[in-house]
Amino acid sequence: MAASSTSQVYIQVIDDVMIKVRDEFVNNGGPGDEVLKELQSIWESKMLQAGAIVGPIERSGAPKPTPGGPITPVHDLNMPYEGTEEYETPTAEMLFPPTPLQTPLQTPLPGTVDNSMYNIPTGPSDYPSAGNEPGENNEIKGGRPGPYMQPPPWTSQNQNQRAPLDVNVAYVEGRDAAERGASNQPLTQDFFMSSGKRKRDEIASQYNAGGYIPQQDGAGDADSQIFEIEVYGGGISIDAGHSTSNGKMPAHSDRPASQIPQFDGPIPYDDDVVSTPNMYNYGVFNEDYNIANTPASSDVPASTPAPVAQNEVDEEDDDDDEPLNENDDDDDLDDLDQGEDQNTHHLVLAQFDKVTRTKSRWKCTLKDGIMHINNKDILFNKATGEFEF
Amino acid sequence: MATFELYRRSTIGMCLTETLDEMVQNGTLSPELAIQVLVQFDKSMTEALETQVKSKVSIKGHLHTYRFCDNVWTFILQDALFKNEDSQENVGRVKIVACDSKLLTQ
Repeated sequence: MAASSTSQVYIQVIDDVMIKVRDEFVNNGGPGDEVLKELQSIWESKMLQAGAIVGPIERSGAPKPTPGGPITPVHDLNMPYEGTEEYETPTAEMLFPPTPLQTPLQTPLPGTVDNSMYNIPTGPSDYPSAGNEPGENNEIKGGRPGPYMQPPPWTSQNQNQRAPLDVNVAYVEGRDAAERGASNQPLTQDFFMSSGKRKRDEIASQYNAGGYIPQQDGAGDADSQIFEIEVYGGGISIDAGHSTSNGKMPAHSDRPASQIPQFDGPIPYDDDVVSTPNMYNYGVFNEDYNIANTPASSDVPASTPAPVAQNEVDEEDDDDDEPLNENDDDDDLDDLDQGEDQNTHHLVLAQFDKVTRTKSRWKCTLKDGIMHINNKDILFNKATGEFEF
Repeated sequence: MATFELYRRSTIGMCLTETLDEMVQNGTLSPELAIQVLVQFDKSMTEALETQVKSKVSIKGHLHTYRFCDNVWTFILQDALFKNEDSQENVGRVKIVACDSKLLTQ
């Protein structure tokens, strides 16, 4: 059934109810006709909000004037009308507002465009490009902070910090030192020459002649503890001081091999060593790996007790019966009913004439029903249903 | 004329019930008069469906739950297909509540 005809049926039902109950409202000391009209208006507004009635409510008869409502003023056409309203006479400026003068920009012809505004100097490049030809004027001024800029935050730090490296200088192996530091140096050197900071070449002079800069953060590896990597036929293993087979070949034979001492966990005997990690049953034991060469505390973490099986404790409860309604189907139905409110509640309300079942096949005939499906109301006179259980 | 209170659960019935409830709460309407309006709505709705509606619908789907209690059949269908003269609708889950039509004729 179409939505318009459904709306018409609903409007007729509303009118029929209003007509039939008018006597109860007006006579016998009822609340009166005003309350009845209020009931009708609220009912119809709720129907419009719910979408059950589409569009304006059209009734067959003309709308009745509301008693006691506002009276429409009637002017006598035989008398000159003296209105109290003041109307502004439309002038030429109101009817034809002046349009602002538009000066269109001329579209430049191709080839005549001045590209000077798009030539942004970005510093010298390793690759020749337009604007970097040898004969052109490519003067680049060093970037200096303006007077409105705040001093950078690193200038106010403590003076006795260790000097970090200049990460703005790209290091390419094999290039000369002069070429290496000259890429974007003029643009940035004014920012990094503040007090308390030293450049890369100042740092390198403090250390040994090979230019080796020692590690300054993290856990440093001491030279005395060196892994001995042994190469198998197909794999690599790290020797921890235990006996090895004959087919192994030490990779670094010139370095003295030393055994890494074990700091945490129960110390196994030599015959207890297995290849399975985490064979000892102790819980999560946090150890800070960011601190270099910090031995673990002397307290060995206590092993976590194995969980006791449930059957060992509750053996005397096995004689109790299960709850009577444990496997009822109503639980599934309750779950479905709870989900109805969240989604659109699809509902069919009708009268049944006949319901039959053949094995798992159900058939029913319905009549005079209302279906609310996908936020639409559909009215039907007859319905047939075939369901497979 | 015997009537069902079945149609009060429809959209138009719920809107009327909410309206009457508000007016009773405000003191505009007495509860007895509100019940009389609902009874009249049951009669008017039943009569309108009998006389003014002529469409036919077919329903197919998987029957998840069925229940018959107090002469009321309740079916819960899954993956139901509703075919109308105008259109057809697919619904993942729908509840059908049907009263015995013979009770009205007695």
